[in-house]
Amino acid sequence: MFTFEELCQLIRVVSETGVAGVEVERDGSRVRVDGVPPAPQAVAAAPPLLSPQMFAAAQLPAPMAGIPAAPATAAPAADSDEGLHFVTSPIVGTFYRAPNPEAEPYVKIGDLVHKGQVLCIVEAMKLMNEIEADASGTIVRMYPENAQAVEFGERLFAIKPS
Amino acid sequence: MISKVLIANRGEIALRIIAACREAGLATVAVHSEADRDSLHVKMADQAICIGPAYASASYLNITSVIAAAEISGADAVHPGYGFLAENAHFAEVVGECGLTWIGPPPEAIRLMGDKATARRTVAERGVPVLPGSPEPLGSREQAVQVAESIGFPVILKATAGGGGKGMRVAANARELRAAFDTARHEAERAFGLGDVYLEKYLTAPRHIEVQVMADGQGRTVAFGERECSIQRRHQKLVEEAPSPAVNEELRKEMCDAAVAAAKAVNYVSAGTVEFLFDDGKFYFMEMNTRIQVEHPVTEAVTGTDLLLEQLRIAAGMPLSVRGRPKLTGHAIEFRINAEDPVTFAPSPGTITELYFPVGPGVRIDTHLYHGYRVPPHYDSLLAKVVVFGRDRREAIQRGRRALSMFRIGGVKTAIPLHLRILDEPDFIEGRLSTRFMDRFATRE
Repeated sequence: MFTFEELCQLIRVVSETGVAGVEVERDGSRVRVDGVPPAPQAVAAAPPLLSPQMFAAAQLPAPMAGIPAAPATAAPAADSDEGLHFVTSPIVGTFYRAPNPEAEPYVKIGDLVHKGQVLCIVEAMKLMNEIEADASGTIVRMYPENAQAVEFGERLFAIKPS
Repeated sequence: MISKVLIANRGEIALRIIAACREAGLATVAVHSEADRDSLHVKMADQAICIGPAYASASYLNITSVIAAAEISGADAVHPGYGFLAENAHFAEVVGECGLTWIGPPPEAIRLMGDKATARRTVAERGVPVLPGSPEPLGSREQAVQVAESIGFPVILKATAGGGGKGMRVAANARELRAAFDTARHEAERAFGLGDVYLEKYLTAPRHIEVQVMADGQGRTVAFGERECSIQRRHQKLVEEAPSPAVNEELRKEMCDAAVAAAKAVNYVSAGTVEFLFDDGKFYFMEMNTRIQVEHPVTEAVTGTDLLLEQLRIAAGMPLSVRGRPKLTGHAIEFRINAEDPVTFAPSPGTITELYFPVGPGVRIDTHLYHGYRVPPHYDSLLAKVVVFGRDRREAIQRGRRALSMFRIGGVKTAIPLHLRILDEPDFIEGRLSTRFMDRFATRE
């Protein structure tokens, strides 16, 4: 048997440490204390970056745009697409930020690029296809991770035209 | 072994391949153009990759993009279906060079059968009957006339690189032949980049009868009986059936042996079809299609075999599941339901607003249609294949009427009314068929 004191102590430990729960067994009696599940907001922050839901959120009409983005999510993706130019992949393949693994990336977020400048490589069948900017401006978003597979027509960069 | 199959195709055949892969426990990767984002093969495959814009030359025919899709998805095999890259020997080679398994015949067999004059010569050397004609490409107009006079008019000029009726000209006499020679060469040059033409005796109203073969590359080359495909419009088959009403068991054995000999002549592996023209009790080799064909389900119905599953088995290095020529049971007819005006035959793209499938015994529908699907204008107009099966031809026809009259497709015009009219033709009911069968509908309009 557990005393009332002991039970209170267990409850305190669970609530203060935030563990999911504690189960104790002694002389044939067993007691279990479950923690409070995390708040729903915390769950909402869990979806991975660039999940389909995020794309949906980015396309919501203007009134929703004022809601601050959750700190854990990438702020740029929640911004509206308005006024941005998107560079899409002209070919299916593998996206590379740099000409080779040792080299510096072609561009970074915030870089000023001009039309015709190489932004990245999409490799298909061992052929390195240099993808050029089709507008001049500032790189504000980069969608794929380095070495990630991209489909035809998939967004690679967003440029804020200058 | 193979575990993940990339399907380099779209439409009903992509679905058919997915079905076979699912049964075989293989994962599937669909590739699609931007116009096919909402296509059923995209929804049904385990994975889907957009490979290009709507026009096929930049998507479904783009070898680099298809291979890149295989690489990024981790597919280890490629099934080409029919059409698009299915009979492109170069593509088959690239697939192999990239370490992927090609679910189809060896590139060399595709190449040999792809050149019509070479194919004709190769099979003739193995004793397969061919139409009398010029064994080599014709050097000059006068040589053509000379050959034609020795075999007798009418004759047909064909491009050696052939296909789709391009570079083909029929001549009833020397004057017509002289006039047609340069045109045929020019047309062949423009269509295939090669102006070589040869000529053959022209049969005015033959039947088109073909034999399905499967070879496992381990010593088994098996014929799966014949299909009658005489009902065609502009060289496009509309109705196919198995067995042919014109073929008895004795003739069947002869044709099947010839088809197996043709396949063996090019060391064939996988599924292929040897096409013959049939006239006055005799058959002549026309060409070999080095792919699975649209009309394969009628053969599946009468042989009780899943030909796609056999293709997958062979690609995985397993032997064919049958040892010898399967016995044919019952009768099967396939109706191709194209999105087209049943009278003018003009293509009819649009959105499917209503879709009800026929019910009852002996009906199989292979289709990529769903309610709300938008039929894109960019590709083949084949929407569905209705395959009916009965104990005999009469029962199959009866079931065909029932199935076609219950099949409702709203939003686009389809060939269903045309098929119902074909089923009412006494010549069809009696099995009196030829490649001229459809002429009656053209002249009546």
